Amino acid sequence: MNESVIWRLILKDVRLHRFQIILSSAVGAGALALFQTKREVPLVLGATWFSVALIVLGCMMPISNVVNERKNHHVAFLMSLPISARQYAMTKIASTFGMFFVPWALLAGGALLVIGAGFPHGAIPISTIITGLILTGFCVVAGTAVVSESEAWTTVAIVLCNSSYGIAWYLIIRVPETARQVGGSVAVWSPRLLTILGAECAVVILCLGLTLYLQSRKRDFI
Amino acid sequence: MDSAFVISQADKRPIYLQIMEQIRQRVAVGDWVAEQAIPSIRQLAVDIGVSVITVKRAYLELEREGIIVTHQGKGSFVSPDSEVGTRIREEELARHLDQAARSAALLGISQKDLEKRIRESYERVTDAEKESV
Amino acid sequence: MNDYAIELDGVCKSYRFFDLDNISLQLARGTIMGLIGPNGAGKSTTIRILMGLVRQDRGEIRALGRRMPEEQASAKRDIGFASDDMRLYDGMTVGWHMNFMKSIYQSWDGDYAQLLLKRFGLRAEQKIKGLSHGQRVKATLLLVLARRPKLLVLDEPTTGLDPVARHEILYELTGVMADEGRSILFSSQNTQDVEQISDRITFIDRGRIIDSMDKEAYLERWRRLRLEAPAGVALPALPGVIGIRQTGRLAVVIANEFAPELPSAYESSGARVHAVENMTLEEIFVANVERSREGVTV
Repeated sequence: MNESVIWRLILKDVRLHRFQIILSSAVGAGALALFQTKREVPLVLGATWFSVALIVLGCMMPISNVVNERKNHHVAFLMSLPISARQYAMTKIASTFGMFFVPWALLAGGALLVIGAGFPHGAIPISTIITGLILTGFCVVAGTAVVSESEAWTTVAIVLCNSSYGIAWYLIIRVPETARQVGGSVAVWSPRLLTILGAECAVVILCLGLTLYLQSRKRDFI
Repeated sequence: MDSAFVISQADKRPIYLQIMEQIRQRVAVGDWVAEQAIPSIRQLAVDIGVSVITVKRAYLELEREGIIVTHQGKGSFVSPDSEVGTRIREEELARHLDQAARSAALLGISQKDLEKRIRESYERVTDAEKESV
Repeated sequence: MNDYAIELDGVCKSYRFFDLDNISLQLARGTIMGLIGPNGAGKSTTIRILMGLVRQDRGEIRALGRRMPEEQASAKRDIGFASDDMRLYDGMTVGWHMNFMKSIYQSWDGDYAQLLLKRFGLRAEQKIKGLSHGQRVKATLLLVLARRPKLLVLDEPTTGLDPVARHEILYELTGVMADEGRSILFSSQNTQDVEQISDRITFIDRGRIIDSMDKEAYLERWRRLRLEAPAGVALPALPGVIGIRQTGRLAVVIANEFAPELPSAYESSGARVHAVENMTLEEIFVANVERSREGVTV
């Protein structure tokens, strides 16, 4: 019986964020469309807008879905519903991660399709790693938002993650083999790239797990 | 149901007394007649917008005064005594007169003076009523 | 199922600057309890602990027979909670919130909800951000009332409302009592409201319960006596008296355990009784808080 309440709460979050989801998905899709032109300037613009759409969604979602709900005093209203504190946290985690993951998966998948259709396949590993990095960054920010419930801490997480994208891109591209293989026609998954991908997955799982664990340890809700 | 009961916060008397007075008035003027069924305690509380316990107290006191009776399981009714309306008016007057006597005593006014003042008062009031007709 | 809608037993909670100490109270089914006390007394904390939003350090809590906070999800099916620090979603309409509640609660009464919309002067199409404070409070209460919950727990439901809105809310709350199985606990700064609709009154100050009893019995225990003392005589504090203010020959005596013999007891000591007055709940409130703060009777 309670599953329906949890489901309704998740749907409610989606309803409240439909504008953000649609806008970022549209921008990302538009960016992918720019890729089709295969000219340099639109390509760069497309790559930029693609990343920006996902990164911005990843920063705004935790703030707007988690931090603001507390800041705007909606939590007392939601806790008047027939759920426990733990169930509320579950819906928050589910909706926050879910509302990012779905557009992310669609856009990342779309990117792979676009590259696969008209670009040297050597770019596939890099693009996978970059989009994976954005997902990882989001998980860190979302986890911080859920556990800290604080705008300050979440902002710190956002700043740290956003700063790290540039550094990460630089470090990855600096690896000589990677730079060479981007233009190649075959997707080459070097051990180093696989390690990085593995690290991203590990961080995502760690974030999720840590969030669930820390959330369940809380005693006072308000 | 009768929700014309008015509880005033400007009236300094406790709410239960105000309720009692308004019930007595209804019986005194004949709006509520002997043996008539009256709202249950809970129903009246809901109609007026006051606590059940206050209406309960009012009903208990009125029952003690013989103005209403409550039959377990059946509800509350105005007393079957057909003279109950008159009796209330008499008691009301007695209360006012006692108050007048008490004031007179406090102010040091003699019984003879008090009688004179009551007569004057009566004439003044009835003259005013004749004029307003 | 037992006869109490709410049972708090020895509830304690420590904060850095404030302690809730040994709170015990019961709310019998079918009654309304008013919780009053100064700001910071612990009313909101008590209510939050009752609703499972805050976990107590010690003590037992049952709401509608269910242990809190462990069984809060199931208890809240039948409890309607509204507090004055609760906010609805600004960008959504009143109607959206109503549909939201309807999707969650089987007991939602659509007809009653429409009636309340009319009575409260609200429209379903209005967005929350366009509502005044009073309208927001009424909207929040509408969402709670239309479910017809067995227990209503309201933290300051009439605070900040204009007189008409207050009257509307009080009318709906007493209307709930038409069903003997339903109960209400509400906290309020407005002693008039509490005096009018409560069956039972609980007084909290500084984290402790000072008084908890039947409202009529409580009001009966308090009296203010206006006395005239013979020249040069200070009036004694007789049993049941908690405060005397005397200037010259005129004195005001406050009794919190009034016995019918008290006026004549004073007359025997030589004083003249000018008046024996009932006290309003507001006057009792002030006297009670002064007494508990000073700990002194004269």
